[in-house]
Amino acid sequence: MSTIIKKKKPVVGNEGMAGMEDGFPDPETEDALNEFNFLNDPQEGAGEAQTSGEWVSDKKDMSPTNEDWHIDQSMLTKLKEDYKKARERGKKYVQRPSKAALQDMLSNLGGEESVPPPSTTPPSRPRPVAAIDLTDEPDIPPGGRVEANRPPIMGIGDEEAIESALGLGELAGLTITNEADVLNSGYNQNSANKEAFRKTWTPKYTLRSHFDGVRSLAFHPEDTVLITGSEDHTLKLWNLQKTVPAKKAVSLDVEPIYTFRGHIGPVLCVAVDTSGEHCFSGGTDAAIRYWNLPDSNLDPYDSYNPSVLADTLVGHTNAVWGLEYDGTKNHLLSCSADGTVRLWNPQNKSPLLNTFTAEDADLGTPTTIDFVRCDTSQVVVGYTSADAVVYDLETGKPILTLDGRTLSDSSNAQINRVVSHPTLPITITAHEDRHIRFFDNTSGNMVHSMVAHLDAVTSLAVDPNGLYLLSGSHDCSIRLWNLDSKTCVQEITSHRKKFDESIYDVAFHPSKPYIASGGADALAKVFI
Amino acid sequence: MAEEQKETVIVRRVRPGTKTEDFQNWEDQPFEDMDSTLAVQQYIQQSIANDISNVDGILAAPDGQDEGVWKYEHLRQFCLELNGIAVKLQGECNPDTCTQMTATEQWIFLCAAHKTPKECPAIDYTRHTLDGAACLLNSNKYFPSRVSIKESSVAKLGSVCRRIYRIFSHAYFHHRALFDEHENETHLCKRFTTFVTKYKLMAKDNLIVPILEETPNPTESEA
Repeated sequence: MSTIIKKKKPVVGNEGMAGMEDGFPDPETEDALNEFNFLNDPQEGAGEAQTSGEWVSDKKDMSPTNEDWHIDQSMLTKLKEDYKKARERGKKYVQRPSKAALQDMLSNLGGEESVPPPSTTPPSRPRPVAAIDLTDEPDIPPGGRVEANRPPIMGIGDEEAIESALGLGELAGLTITNEADVLNSGYNQNSANKEAFRKTWTPKYTLRSHFDGVRSLAFHPEDTVLITGSEDHTLKLWNLQKTVPAKKAVSLDVEPIYTFRGHIGPVLCVAVDTSGEHCFSGGTDAAIRYWNLPDSNLDPYDSYNPSVLADTLVGHTNAVWGLEYDGTKNHLLSCSADGTVRLWNPQNKSPLLNTFTAEDADLGTPTTIDFVRCDTSQVVVGYTSADAVVYDLETGKPILTLDGRTLSDSSNAQINRVVSHPTLPITITAHEDRHIRFFDNTSGNMVHSMVAHLDAVTSLAVDPNGLYLLSGSHDCSIRLWNLDSKTCVQEITSHRKKFDESIYDVAFHPSKPYIASGGADALAKVFI
Repeated sequence: MAEEQKETVIVRRVRPGTKTEDFQNWEDQPFEDMDSTLAVQQYIQQSIANDISNVDGILAAPDGQDEGVWKYEHLRQFCLELNGIAVKLQGECNPDTCTQMTATEQWIFLCAAHKTPKECPAIDYTRHTLDGAACLLNSNKYFPSRVSIKESSVAKLGSVCRRIYRIFSHAYFHHRALFDEHENETHLCKRFTTFVTKYKLMAKDNLIVPILEETPNPTESEA
């Protein structure tokens, strides 16, 4: 693609197509001109004439096969227009749900009980794409599951609300329940609500550009933009509305808009802030990089802009495995193999606010963290021992231990991921021993446990409404769970194995009907 | 029970919480036991983890290995590891001083990642070339599979090699301390030069970094 000007001699010659196949019959001139051979593959029927006006004809020749290096301008323009239109269209309906979400958040934070009754919910959650929009769910006739969604969080009825939300006991197993044969526990009839099972996800985009496993991914809060962090030392920014239709495949090809280079070694975790203007990444180099997100309509081959890397948060002394952001206080939380959990305000001159070290050495190393979403003055930390601990951010003291250790009979039941329910005081943990466990943050009791996969569960994500749980596993599958009934409503096989690893991360888009997974096979996949 | 399991099954995983120094510290898996579609990448990375300076060992293909796939997977790994140089160059290779991608005075390389190929500053050339290589090597059209690759696609590897080699040569001729530091840690240019020579992916004349002629100690620096 690039070409060569030889300063001392004029460049002349025909670009021999045979040159590549046969090795190097002719030395440098031809070799130099062969630079672009792959773009003019004779088998692809592209032109082969190549004269001294190399790159002019080059460019022409490239257009039919340009998906490797070039973007055809007309295509690009068209895509840009499409994107703009789609974006405008998107905004129209995105704003409302996000406002509603914000209100939900605020009302929860304030501890108010004046949660809007279910009947007022649907108008605030419009349904632009009926079949695939998760925000459909509030349309379901009010019942137990809606209670689960909108509980009197700080109220007295806590225990009962949680019980009804998590009531399925030991029933969930490895089998996938189709909507036809939803498990009925006998005391939770609501799970039979078929409306709830209608949404299934289908593969839409395969994101190929990383050279090694995709350890982490995070969606933009509003745009259809995804950020992936990989063991290939880079992060990539993807605009899902800037696609190239793949020839035969069902799914579309997307090319990354931007590659973030800064880490020395694998990138292990990514978080995006709530404004969507910044993202954070942690890696084996013990650094947390603080990035300004480039415009998602950027030319991928623009000039290097050093200010994309806004800052590096220094403090950890070993691999950074977890990052979470809380927009209410601009807090960033990190955990590391150095044994510490750290709280940052990335915008501060001295960003490190606090360091938490477990007092109980038996807990092991922190592996994963999350803010307690319904009370962001608390954080929950998962450990290699299989226990999780809820800490108070102000005092730095542990509030309660969620005991996964004595409940597992496996030699390694470490927590690979911890997530907090968006509205309920419930912590969900994914374990190496194939289990997903549910804990009540008020009592510290485990309220549910299930063998969720055939192999280690690596990742969890809860949809923004708190109705569904997504889990990823080294068994190569993603499972979607109804949080109310704890039944698996969909299984998707995705990602191939590398050594004994397969799926590293799963994510829900915070405001649009997208989910994504990242795997050891260097791919990220997006489903709609 | 734990010990029993250990004897029978080795689970090769880098679990959350693992320290950087413990990555990939598991017992080697023989190539014939690797049944994954990513077996070749696994094998190459395992060899590198064992001894990054053992260039010939890393480049020695297992018996019966398809050569196209072998070359392809190595090239992916080179592009991955070249990020290390790119990150270093970002801190040092200033577009105001390195306004063109040059190595010796003889050549300027034009970056054709654009509508009209242009004289990108060296740092842009470096980034665009790695980004372009990532797109090509992950192209669903040319490289839909990592277990078997069409001859016509294998033929494209040479041009990627020539292009990314310029990152080495620019670093060597214009950022020598940076190059030496990276090379001491990784032996990457030595491995790359050996690779393209072994598989005839580049003409000898283009290999302008005198890495193989140097004494076994590549750290030795010259003016």
